[in-house]
Amino acid sequence: MDLKEKLVILADSAKYDASCSSSGSKRKSGNIGNTSYCGICHSFASDGRCISLLKILLTNCCIFDCKYCLNRRSNNIKRAIFAPEEICSITINFYKRNYIEGLFLSSGIIKSPDYTMNLIIETISLLRNKYHFGGYIHAKAIPGTSKVLLNKLGKLVDRLSANIELPTDNGLKLLAPNKSSNKISEIMSYVNDNKSSKFVPAGQSTQMIIGATNESDLDIMNRSKDMYNKYKLKRVFYSAYIPVNKDKLLPTINTPPLVRENRLYQADWLLRYYNFKVSDILDKNNPNFNLLIDPKCDWALRHLDEFPKEINKCSYIDLLKIPGIGVTSAKRIISSRKYFSVDFKDLKKIGVVLKRAKYFITCNGKYFIDNNNFKRDFIEYNLMLEDKNNNDFIGKQMSLF
Amino acid sequence: MIYLYKESFIDLLNLINYLLKNKIQPENIKNEFYLKTLLEETYYPFIEEDNGLCDRMINKIGIDSFTIIYYVFLSNVNDKELLIYKFLLNSLKYKDKIKYMRNIDCVSKCLKISRYVKHEAHKFKGFVRFSELNNCVLYSEIEPENNIILILSNHFKSRLKNEYWIIKDNKRNVISIYDKNNFYILDGNNIDISILKKKDCYEDMWKAFYNTIGIKERKNDKCRMNFMPKKYWKYIVEVNDNEKSDM
Repeated sequence: MDLKEKLVILADSAKYDASCSSSGSKRKSGNIGNTSYCGICHSFASDGRCISLLKILLTNCCIFDCKYCLNRRSNNIKRAIFAPEEICSITINFYKRNYIEGLFLSSGIIKSPDYTMNLIIETISLLRNKYHFGGYIHAKAIPGTSKVLLNKLGKLVDRLSANIELPTDNGLKLLAPNKSSNKISEIMSYVNDNKSSKFVPAGQSTQMIIGATNESDLDIMNRSKDMYNKYKLKRVFYSAYIPVNKDKLLPTINTPPLVRENRLYQADWLLRYYNFKVSDILDKNNPNFNLLIDPKCDWALRHLDEFPKEINKCSYIDLLKIPGIGVTSAKRIISSRKYFSVDFKDLKKIGVVLKRAKYFITCNGKYFIDNNNFKRDFIEYNLMLEDKNNNDFIGKQMSLF
Repeated sequence: MIYLYKESFIDLLNLINYLLKNKIQPENIKNEFYLKTLLEETYYPFIEEDNGLCDRMINKIGIDSFTIIYYVFLSNVNDKELLIYKFLLNSLKYKDKIKYMRNIDCVSKCLKISRYVKHEAHKFKGFVRFSELNNCVLYSEIEPENNIILILSNHFKSRLKNEYWIIKDNKRNVISIYDKNNFYILDGNNIDISILKKKDCYEDMWKAFYNTIGIKERKNDKCRMNFMPKKYWKYIVEVNDNEKSDM
């Protein structure tokens, strides 16, 4: 088997991992390579996702038999394994040609978790110590591995991640009987307790599959919130379930739930950057997202008594609650209105996108059209109309990787 | 009257300094290669070089504003010189508060343009594709909208510090050539690499990787195009040739 064929097999097996970000690390230049704190996307794949890292498995051989996974033991597929030097030569040569920002190395589990971890560590220490590679490295921590190895690996990489795979423990028991959520949370708390500029400087992330089991969006968001609080995760990735195996325990679907996945990312953003709580967006009576309208608009429509908000007076936190206004816009509004009073024309000059925002604000007491139109029906109808046009012209989904 | 300056950013600053000092309101400002129309009048004032000008200006208007006008200068926007002149005029009044005065037309325009240039430079830090020549030099061609070769050179100077590399901007016909120590910006006619090209197995592997990594159930061309617009595809080797030919 030549190197190219191996690469294809082991990239194909790795592609379902959603994470490809290369941000959060300030590694100084080595013999070759450095990192950019904000991350750099080098290409975009046919599915529109960013390619920043060489995303591969060390091997797709696996002793586990997780129902949803392409690489499960019981599947009859081509298997391959990279030698550490092979991974180094592809990484360095891709990096030199500016194809990638670094390496994302994951692996199926061969022999034992510790045996697999040792191979990953051997590869990455070759890259760092023999080739003096200073680019970004994201590695998977194998559940069940020893703390000594976790410590070794954490000192070599920029980011570590351990996937919780499914949103609830029951789901995991059902579909990934060889994995246990204890082992995954052990990794997360170890990384969180030891994080420093020399140990996993870019922090940790995780991923869960959406739609393979029957959790509600509320369950999922609560799980995310707990992990953000407890382990200070940088990101939780949501991955719409794509059927690659047939199994009576798996749902039969034709298209992956991409809109739902998008809603989860939007809500995730609201939690992390917009001061929203899970209970603001979802509750027992509404445990799932409205697929027709984004969570922030949905929230605003249910709380119209708090609107319209006056751009020249309302607080930063209130500005962030306005649909269509993000962190950048809110900051610009705050700094601008110290020096002049802001009207609709100025908002455009400031760079605020009014498409959604205009329905929820006043500038010096004025609504963008006659005040009598500030009614739920009118706003909801127009928002849906804007969305429809939008979806027709640009595939705006999945811009969050 | 249209005022002319030689070519560089420093020359433009010197000219604007001269205009402000003499309280002249120019109709427009252009570099010396400007082709005037019949009805236009141009004037190329002799200005003595003023070495301390940049430092004095940074002191006066702040480094943030200075960076903004530098990025505007690198842009491909028509009449950018006049915008810079107006921005500087306003800076004298508002000092470092200028960046918040987005209700002033030239300010909101300059901020927008500088962001656009910065953004394009950031994208190209990812989109530059080097190929290895048979003398081990890494070689790349680009055609960005704005003049970002200097920004890119600084980026690759620290990233690929132990490699020889060349970046060629085909739109402006300039090259940046790096000798493991410093980079030099030269006229594009200085090099010819046609005999040095070789078949590269890593380029083949990269194309194979690219074609594998996308998930076909999630195919989304519009999304890909939003992030990686067609105008940049020409030198992005992994985009399939048959897709490029649809351009």
